[in-house]
Amino acid sequence: MIKRLLGQFVKQLICIVMVMVVLAPIVLTLFAALKTRGDMASTSPLWLPEVQRITLENFRQVLNDKYLYIGFKNTGFILVMSLIFNVLFGTITAYVIERFNFRGKKVVVGLFFLGMLIPTFVTEIARFKIIQGLGLYNTIGAPIVIYVASDLMQLYIYRQFISRIPVALDEAALIDGCSYFKLFGQIIFPLLAPATATVCIIKSIIIINDMYIPYLYMPKNSLRTLTTYLMNFANAQQGSWQVLAAGIIVVMVPTIILYIFFQKYILSGVAAGAVKE
Amino acid sequence: MQSLNKKKKIFIGTSLVIPMLLLIGFVVVPAIDLFRMSFIEWDGYSPDTRFVGVSNYISMFKNKDLWLSLKNNSVYFFVHFFMIFFELGFAVLLNSKIKGAKFYKTMVFLPYIINGVAIAYAFSYFYSPINGAFNSILELLQLESWIRSWLSDPKIVNYVLASVSVWRFSGYHVILFLAALQSIPKDIEEAAKVDGANGWHLFRYIQIPGIMLMVDFVLFDNIRGALQVFDIPFVMTAGGPGYASSTFTLYTIKTAFSFSNFGLASTMAIAIMFMIVIIYIIQNNIIHKVLFKDRGQKND
Repeated sequence: MIKRLLGQFVKQLICIVMVMVVLAPIVLTLFAALKTRGDMASTSPLWLPEVQRITLENFRQVLNDKYLYIGFKNTGFILVMSLIFNVLFGTITAYVIERFNFRGKKVVVGLFFLGMLIPTFVTEIARFKIIQGLGLYNTIGAPIVIYVASDLMQLYIYRQFISRIPVALDEAALIDGCSYFKLFGQIIFPLLAPATATVCIIKSIIIINDMYIPYLYMPKNSLRTLTTYLMNFANAQQGSWQVLAAGIIVVMVPTIILYIFFQKYILSGVAAGAVKE
Repeated sequence: MQSLNKKKKIFIGTSLVIPMLLLIGFVVVPAIDLFRMSFIEWDGYSPDTRFVGVSNYISMFKNKDLWLSLKNNSVYFFVHFFMIFFELGFAVLLNSKIKGAKFYKTMVFLPYIINGVAIAYAFSYFYSPINGAFNSILELLQLESWIRSWLSDPKIVNYVLASVSVWRFSGYHVILFLAALQSIPKDIEEAAKVDGANGWHLFRYIQIPGIMLMVDFVLFDNIRGALQVFDIPFVMTAGGPGYASSTFTLYTIKTAFSFSNFGLASTMAIAIMFMIVIIYIIQNNIIHKVLFKDRGQKND
């Protein structure tokens, strides 16, 4: 009994240390965001100033920045468009690969596998020219097209899911005179809803948090995303940590909210996406 | 039947045409083009390019800053490798009987979903030399003598950046290990306990063999991730001071987009791909044999 209690105590202790390590950088940034410039220098970074000295001025400054809203709007638009096409192409490609045998199937599957193995950042050196050639540079189309074409984790999630749907269902529908398009659109696609939820949530987090693609392809001010907004904002706030801290917290909020509401999908999805063998 | 077959072909064709075009146009062609570009000299915008044979490859091997960058990548690899043991231990802990396991699981994965750029700035503040929180923590613990310029001392900057990387990605590995542990059938563990197995026996003879596939994945993910470290040093130090915290990918991107040397950058990109493929092959042939040797055969 005592041994068990002691065991539980040690376990709790380890976990509480983990929670503190996870929360420390976030909470300390929040503390800074609530301080005035003077209090940044005169109070300990590890604690808040006295209650009556807490200020929301830094958040006001961030929330009054029109580029924050431009960032939100652009990120939102890129996200919605990318998700729609990712789900549409992801479901149908996975369905065709999983259910049909056709000439050249090995090549198709091999190309998609190759697409997973090619490293992300350095490929942009060659992709840059293609995007430019298509006139997509400095347009919101660039990130959308890249998010839809590369990063193919959705195929694995959908293939796993489709392989568990009985083929007899397809056969019955076809015998009833259902066309392939109708079979996919009205029977298979709705059945994939749980997988689609997982794909959407995980992709959302990847796309909202991506820095590199928007940074590289959309230097225009009016095309800032949430992440590139923060980078610009940080450059303008050199030395004013309290204002930058407020910006950091605001940019952290969207994915944290997604996580709080959809963590079940996220946690099961990352594990499903990882084990591909 | 003939018409059904034809309909099937039309369906397959229409379904795959756009995804395949996108894949070929934006993934396959660029990858092949990198190979072609690695033999030319090109500034990225002018129409004239010059075939230079293997001279990009020669200057890549002679580039000291690039070798230094690759050495910095190895810091991330070793630090993360070392952490795998703790991640595994922590996953076993969360899988055992513990109050609040769900909450702790949520917390451990939290860093992974937060905006990486926001985290990089938060840690820049955390490690900042003036009123930085980390220095205050050291003062609180009476360890003032440990205080360093965390982000500008070439000797330690990579370890500091690697610690940020650990903060951000360790939870991902814990969740993967945990998912693998939870997929081990409970009755096997129960049966072992009935037979008198203690915690260590369970870990060594049931849990470890049961999650080897995941360990395998995490090891590969670690190598691939360490080779491609980019955004943490990019945002926090821009690779500086000098090239002290540069990484292979960071240097490659700089070569292309800052130094306008697309030919040399493509050569480096080919080198990264080559390393990843080689590691993949080594992993599949050597590490698999070691990892799975006491199982006789690989489970599917």
